[in-house]
Amino acid sequence: MFKIALFGAGRIGRIHAANAAAHPALTLAYVVDPVAAAARALAVETGARVTDLETALGDASVAGVIIASSTDTHLDYARRAVAAGKAVFCEKPIDQDLARARSAAIELSGSRLFLGFNRRFDPSFQALKARLSSGAVGRLESLQITSHDPAPPPVSYIKVSGGLFKDMAIHDFDMARWLLGEEPVEVFASASCLVDPKIGAAGDVDTAKTLLRTASGKLCVISNSRRSGYGYDQRIEAFGSEGMVKADNMLESTVQTWNETGAAADRFQNFFLDRYRDAYRLEIDHFAEILAGQAVPSVGYADGVAALALAEAAGLSARTGQVVKL
Amino acid sequence: MAASRFKIAQLGAGRMGTVHARGAAANPRLRLAYLVDPRPEAAAPLAKEVGAKLADLDTVLADPEVVGVIVASSTDVHLDNTLACLRAGKAVFCEKPLDLDLARLQAAKAEITASAAPLLVAFNRRFDPHYLALKARIGAGAIGRLESLNIINHDPAPPAHAFIVPSGGLFKDFTIHDLDLACWLLEETPVELFAAASCLVDPVIGEKGDVDTARVVLKTASGQLCMISNTRRSGCGYDQRIEAFGSQGVAMADNPRLDTVQVWGEAGAVSSPIPRDFIGRYAQAYRAELDHFADVLAGAPSQIGFAESVRALTLAEAAAESVRSGRSVRL
Repeated sequence: MFKIALFGAGRIGRIHAANAAAHPALTLAYVVDPVAAAARALAVETGARVTDLETALGDASVAGVIIASSTDTHLDYARRAVAAGKAVFCEKPIDQDLARARSAAIELSGSRLFLGFNRRFDPSFQALKARLSSGAVGRLESLQITSHDPAPPPVSYIKVSGGLFKDMAIHDFDMARWLLGEEPVEVFASASCLVDPKIGAAGDVDTAKTLLRTASGKLCVISNSRRSGYGYDQRIEAFGSEGMVKADNMLESTVQTWNETGAAADRFQNFFLDRYRDAYRLEIDHFAEILAGQAVPSVGYADGVAALALAEAAGLSARTGQVVKL
Repeated sequence: MAASRFKIAQLGAGRMGTVHARGAAANPRLRLAYLVDPRPEAAAPLAKEVGAKLADLDTVLADPEVVGVIVASSTDVHLDNTLACLRAGKAVFCEKPLDLDLARLQAAKAEITASAAPLLVAFNRRFDPHYLALKARIGAGAIGRLESLNIINHDPAPPAHAFIVPSGGLFKDFTIHDLDLACWLLEETPVELFAAASCLVDPVIGEKGDVDTARVVLKTASGQLCMISNTRRSGCGYDQRIEAFGSQGVAMADNPRLDTVQVWGEAGAVSSPIPRDFIGRYAQAYRAELDHFADVLAGAPSQIGFAESVRALTLAEAAAESVRSGRSVRL
């Protein structure tokens, strides 16, 4: 059994805590959160103890740390945990500032830092990647990633989120890199505020189409909206020289209702906690493998920096109307 | 009944000419009287099949009973043929594109817009029942306010190498359909365009100065966004889909399947393929556009003509320019 500590008892922290507590190889020993009530409630639920960061990092029996605290603390906590010799599972993004993220290169490159780009662990997207790798559609040529949220977050969140590209599209930038198997060298983004004028007033956009191109000429389009009007739309189409592989949305149920006016399907699984339930569980599995020395992080610091660089480039392109070369 | 049919002629007996001649012969409101082709011996079997007489253009233009002409000749003579027919007072159904050169098109503007005889430019996809239903749903407010579009237009296999250069290139030959669909569905003209393109399918296409894989992003003045995806070779048939994202939902027009059979086994399920050929996929659209031509001959206004052709070609040229310069183009 590996003893681990959790930093952050918010929405995503609670998901990871529940999965860690249920994992046969892990013991969730500590919960750390500045909001004492949140830490206490989660500790009671999972059988962990509330403590502070220094105590958790100073406990030599703690092998790993899950960082699910607020985004502005990710990089600092990751550095301290790695320095204390812990394996780290850090929520995305690594940071909101590219220069600051890059400044940690010496300490974090090649470290046992596993960055939680959860979509890489989604069974459907993993199956899609496996089909691509097995040559099912020949040589990959282009990608279409659809990533639309059901409803926009409150403007108070928008203001601290880092904006659409760094907060939301960053997942898609990571998926694009992962699936293309090649770094984009050109980014163009066209973006609008169509969903909620308050998002525009806060200096952000809510609707975007981003185009990536790699050195070999592979193309990728990412479609983003903060509000779909029909649920959490998460799809990927990968076009190859011999066909297409498509991962479609998961529905709440397989029930279809047919009548004189046509057919109605059930709605999409609601938002990320439902849609990516399996992915979060599989992330914890991967973290346990890392702790056991059976795996190195499949996605880490360098991936976090690369995705952030694409997000900054997309933001710059949307502002200037120009292509950004990387 | 035959007397009430509109007497028409057709120029061109190639691939599209065959589709339209058969469609016209089957249309209860049209009577295809003449077929004109520079190679009469090649056109003879089609003329016989559809019951038309082989003739030359002058005969067609001089026949006062001919009220309309289908221009399905080679692209480089579309505009000249169209102008000749309009001058003779014939309504024209012209296969797309009207021309590949924007300057030439603009030079013909005064004459075409002043012509009493109407011009229908056959952007067939506007007549596809699936896309018409999609537009009707958007118009009915089914998805609230339209915010963005994804248009997938992938050919099953690249055209013959000899076709690449005369085609005008991917954007003018192929993407032009999507650019027209985008304007039709957005109901707004794009003001900004960016295109990225590659040659991934066939190096010969690249050697001839063209591309075979592209993504185009359009933005309108109100901020509506549209993405167009093109390839000359899908590897999975003729992939023709549109997704329209609105404030209250998404409307999707999917590919039809050749049949509805699914086979399930230990490895999963296998569906039948999507159509491979554009003539089969858009068979209903080709019939519907001829029906619309009959409406135009009966006095209805043409739904798509010169202005739409100029707009689509302008966008296609902008896409090519964006690829050349690596910059977005403001319109």
